Amino acid sequence: MADKKLSLTLSSSPHLRSSNTVSSAMRDVLIALCPVTLVSIYFFKLHAVFLILVCLAAAAITELVFRKVMNKPSSLNDGSAMVTGLLVALCFGPATAWWTAALSTFIGVGIAKELMGGLGWNRFNPALFGRVSVILLLPIFSYLSSIFAPLRPYLGEIDMVTQATPLALLKQGAAMPGLLNLFLAHPGGALGETSALALILGGAYLLYKKHITWEIPGSMIIAVFVVSLIFGQNPLYHVLAGGLLIGAFFMATDWVTSPITAKGKLIFGVAIGILIVIFRVGLGPTEGTAFSILIMNAFVPYIDRITKRPKFGEVAASQPTTATTGRPVGKTS
Amino acid sequence: MTVKTFPRGVFLPHYKEFSEDKSITTIPLPKEVVIPLHQHTGAPCRALVQPGDEVKAGQRIGESNAFVSAYVHASVDGKVTAVEPRPYFTGTKVESVVIEVNGEQSKPTWQERDVSALSIDQIKDAIKDAGIVGMGGAAFPTHVKLSPPTTIDAFIVNGCECEPFLTCDHRLMVEMTDKLLEGARLAQKVVGAPKIYFGVETNKPDAIEALKAKIAGAADIEVVSLDVKYPQGSEKQLIKAVLNREVPPGKLPLDVGVVVQNVSTCIAIYEACRYGKPLIERVLTVTGDGAAKPQNVLVKIGTPIGHVIEQCGGFKGEIGKIIMGGPMTGWAQSSLDIPVVKGTSGILLFSPAMVVETQHKACVRCGKCVDHCPMNLYPNYIGTYAETGRFAQAAEWGAMDCFECGICAYVCPSNRPIVQFVRQAKRQIAAARAAKN
Repeated sequence: MADKKLSLTLSSSPHLRSSNTVSSAMRDVLIALCPVTLVSIYFFKLHAVFLILVCLAAAAITELVFRKVMNKPSSLNDGSAMVTGLLVALCFGPATAWWTAALSTFIGVGIAKELMGGLGWNRFNPALFGRVSVILLLPIFSYLSSIFAPLRPYLGEIDMVTQATPLALLKQGAAMPGLLNLFLAHPGGALGETSALALILGGAYLLYKKHITWEIPGSMIIAVFVVSLIFGQNPLYHVLAGGLLIGAFFMATDWVTSPITAKGKLIFGVAIGILIVIFRVGLGPTEGTAFSILIMNAFVPYIDRITKRPKFGEVAASQPTTATTGRPVGKTS
Repeated sequence: MTVKTFPRGVFLPHYKEFSEDKSITTIPLPKEVVIPLHQHTGAPCRALVQPGDEVKAGQRIGESNAFVSAYVHASVDGKVTAVEPRPYFTGTKVESVVIEVNGEQSKPTWQERDVSALSIDQIKDAIKDAGIVGMGGAAFPTHVKLSPPTTIDAFIVNGCECEPFLTCDHRLMVEMTDKLLEGARLAQKVVGAPKIYFGVETNKPDAIEALKAKIAGAADIEVVSLDVKYPQGSEKQLIKAVLNREVPPGKLPLDVGVVVQNVSTCIAIYEACRYGKPLIERVLTVTGDGAAKPQNVLVKIGTPIGHVIEQCGGFKGEIGKIIMGGPMTGWAQSSLDIPVVKGTSGILLFSPAMVVETQHKACVRCGKCVDHCPMNLYPNYIGTYAETGRFAQAAEWGAMDCFECGICAYVCPSNRPIVQFVRQAKRQIAAARAAKN
């Protein structure tokens, strides 16, 4: 047996691995987004399909190009670009121009993610960063629109009244869609705001698969409910309308840009919830959820540091020692 | 039946079916044994023999005057051919006594004595003379461990064997229940614990039954059924599950009034007291999808793993990795000449299909490592800080409290070798602290 040639691998323990991969988790996120995606296509037909395809393509191309230029191996197969693309699309309304969606996605994937070091190193949620860049860089987007306007394909009529964000209607004092409609399905606002039920189903799937935990969505939704109540507004409308639910289950829970400590997640969620209501009440229905999440993204490293949990057996200095043995009492709980 | 457990940890595929039903076997002796003079935690031994010396099985061939150390004995009758550095399972070289095994082995002349008549000091001396160390893997000198400076109110026998694939402790609990019980009683007497607990995972129902039958009626022994979760067999997690006490960071079980010993160690204690037999052989599991005949085998200390594998039917197909120990904390080997030592619990033969990918990606902060870390650390931060050379921050997030169970790397979707990062960090942090002093 000594003369048989062996080709052995030497590596550090552990020598077993679970089947967890980033791509399998991203696949699950895409699956979780299917219900609301399908509802948006049902309502907005070609507009929705075209927007989604444009964003997916832009995300893939952006990531490929950036990584090539930066001399890094392709990471398309981890699926995160696809998730970002779909999420950006779901942040836009059906009347959004394709160049706006494409540039948004480019900024989100390219600048917020790849330039920051790629998946795992970004500080801000790439999809939301891309979405708000339209607002922050309005002059650039307006200029683009003036140039590209003739290249806009005709994809059918859009009813501008029913497509308005329910929160805008709330502000204007106009007739709101009923709560049941808001919950089940309604053709108003962005693609990802068309069905609370679809989003909750998606969120439940992610919770079941243990890709997200209850702390962030739970604290965010409850905070919005309570603070809107304090402001004298209808809390159920605030929870069901706008980008809150997609934000709570899919944006704020983004692994890379949210706290990793349990207490930290609670603080994060509550803070976002408070900010959302302040934005909506004070500034009107313009991407309050997106801005709130992005603001709190910046605090994540600090939040993690101040919410570190005690180590196994870590005893506070003030703990008593036993009389008989003089040894410190280990934590019993 | 209440099943106890500890927080966090992870459920692993256990792969025990390869060998859990295989009774302990013996194999012919090799031509040569290599006995490292340092195969325990503590100070290395110096050789008491030199090339040319004839030695007998059980003869002391290495000793040290340090408080924390253990004697080393010849495991066979033979002639010393060399005392030199030889490859060791951790990848370094350790000064070892190389013995050419005699064709004829003399019959052992152990002298029986009544263990119930032994005093505490006599028991401790027997253990020390026998060179017994913790056989669960840590190899801490047993006579030192059984001399804690604190009051002990519980002695726990570790029958968990939480590592996948390994079944040697399981078979010992089933086949040597009497010796195990006697050994536990002796250890209990030494530490003065009023109660003995046997911690056994529920995937070993025959062991639980065998123990319960043997202790029948004893008021001061309890068999505790434990959930099959890794790392239940880790001392701190075992104490948490059985007694709900947490050993503080940097402290030992004795600081919460507990002493833990592995099943094999307890049996060695009995044999040392009853027969004066030193620790010269141990049961280990040869297994894996690359093992032709997985089994639990009694092996002389110093036997090259190549000989053990050959005597156990050899390889089955292509081999991609050979591991000494369990798959979560064991050591990958590059040579078949590495000797079995006191802490060797298993030899795993992995086919290339079971060899894991070594490329890793960036941490995506999924939090799975944080969810499962039994010490409540933040392996994601320890890993990323260590990887980028920020060792002080790695220490802040818990690097020095990690006992390298491997769960973080196991669950990581980016396949990050976090345990490897921790090991590098520990070295750097220790060096930085030493430099400061």
